[in-house]
Amino acid sequence: MSLDTAAKLEAGAEEALELPPRPRPSMLMIVIGLGALFFTVLSARRVEFSPGDLISNLTRSNPVFDGLLNMSWDEMFSSRSRKAFVETLQLAVLGTTAGVIVSLPLALWATEIGNPYVVPRLILRSINNVIRAIPDLLWAGLFVLGVGIGALSGLLALFFFSLAVMVKLTADTLDGIDMGPIEAANAAGATHTQMLRTAVVPQILSAFSSYALYDFELNLRASAVLGLVGAGGIGQRLDFFRNRGQWDKLWGLVLMFFLVVFVVERISVSIRRRLV
Amino acid sequence: MNATVSTSGSVRLPSKGRDTFRLVLTTTFVVLFGWSAISVELKWSRLLEAPADMYRLAQVMFGNLAWDQFGNLVGLMWDSIAMAWMGTLIAAVFAIPLSFLAAENLVGRPIAWVVRQVFNVLRAVPEVILALLFIPVFGLSPMAGVLAIGVGSIGSLGKLFYEIIENIKTNPIEAADAVGASAVQRLRWGVIPQVAPELTSFLLYRFEINIRASSVLGIVGAGGIGGALADAIRFKEFGQAGLALIVVIVGTIAVDAVSGSIRRRIVAGPKQADSVEPDEEPLPPTSTGAPALASGPRG
Repeated sequence: MSLDTAAKLEAGAEEALELPPRPRPSMLMIVIGLGALFFTVLSARRVEFSPGDLISNLTRSNPVFDGLLNMSWDEMFSSRSRKAFVETLQLAVLGTTAGVIVSLPLALWATEIGNPYVVPRLILRSINNVIRAIPDLLWAGLFVLGVGIGALSGLLALFFFSLAVMVKLTADTLDGIDMGPIEAANAAGATHTQMLRTAVVPQILSAFSSYALYDFELNLRASAVLGLVGAGGIGQRLDFFRNRGQWDKLWGLVLMFFLVVFVVERISVSIRRRLV
Repeated sequence: MNATVSTSGSVRLPSKGRDTFRLVLTTTFVVLFGWSAISVELKWSRLLEAPADMYRLAQVMFGNLAWDQFGNLVGLMWDSIAMAWMGTLIAAVFAIPLSFLAAENLVGRPIAWVVRQVFNVLRAVPEVILALLFIPVFGLSPMAGVLAIGVGSIGSLGKLFYEIIENIKTNPIEAADAVGASAVQRLRWGVIPQVAPELTSFLLYRFEINIRASSVLGIVGAGGIGGALADAIRFKEFGQAGLALIVVIVGTIAVDAVSGSIRRRIVAGPKQADSVEPDEEPLPPTSTGAPALASGPRG
């Protein structure tokens, strides 16, 4: 009986089973997809992309990959490289600190909570977008041109670069904070500064510290290439070995740089995890 | 009355907790900062002259822009954008499959760990250094830049991707298992529909970052507008440098705006979908905040 019913049901289901229609991709997705495809074809033609050339270039023997195979380890311990490394670290620390300190008031001024006036807010955000659109190395090039070759140009470049990143991230965080404490502070008759100090800053402080550490990681990577345009740090050594075609030594530096970044990042990530 | 007086007299604010972790952190930082500020070799007095110097530079750069170079520069910016896009796509081709192998909920812990270390290695090296290394292989062509961006983005894209994948809901996967799906079908119907919007969104986000990277790669000779800018600076053609800078800024902001609006649209999904799922829980901070943070606006 029960078996019979089950069989019957199954048979019936087989006949009457009608699958729901498959969801169709929306018009927008089609447009975006086609747009992306078109853009890809255009880009590929523009950069003369061809997989054949790619493979033949990569498989041909060349000085760079040979250099990787007999990497020169002693460059990691030479005193000049060590000095350049220390300068890179110092620039990253100083540039990040300066950027982080200046970014907090600017981020407050760029949000509705800290600045009730629309026009200055928009101006500030636009300026920040412009600053953010200029890459770190370009900042360095501009400062080298204006201020001169040396570590100061690198420091200023890192300052502007981290300022823009920090203001953007912090302002976005400020837009999403809890309004309760702010209302409480206002109800208790706090001045604007007191309100910001007691109701806003404590809410974002852990995120802000986390962004600052993240910014330091970015700056450390950026400061390694500043020297390519003459703005101090390890990049000058990289450029030196590159111009002389000493790829084995360059790889040694890259490896050392990688180790430094790796260690700093591990530390920074573990601190960030505790902060958030 | 009496009671009020006595309470107000004996009221005591709770003492602030002492946070050793924070104390150690602050001290370390202050020492590090002090050491850097004192021992770095730069003339701090020059800092005061810097604003005037930069103002003079801005005057000569934007005073007489070389408009005859405008078409050429826009073409070069388009080169940079194309390089960034192709690089992002190459990165995605490698990062998407790898990120499935780095998600602990899809593969075992050991495999995930190994793949993650690969991502970490690739993430550590800046694109410009990669470009330096690729130029002797590919010559002074955009392909060196494309590969530098591609290889440099695999690590950060992969990291973002596996964090998204690790945050998926298990119900669709269970449903796929229940109807007897194969491993591929399970991935296709249980995992991919859940992660596709965010994956696309982060891909576009990475594209925005890569534009900033590709517009400077030319400085080391890997094609794009950076080369024109570097040459203009080297030969002191300030008008051309100023115009190139403006083209970079406007181009970057324009691409940001387009890509940003597509991103928001993709993540928001079709309008009706919002109202059907009112009880959808907000994503944990690790899936929205942290990945964006992890890659970050790098340029």
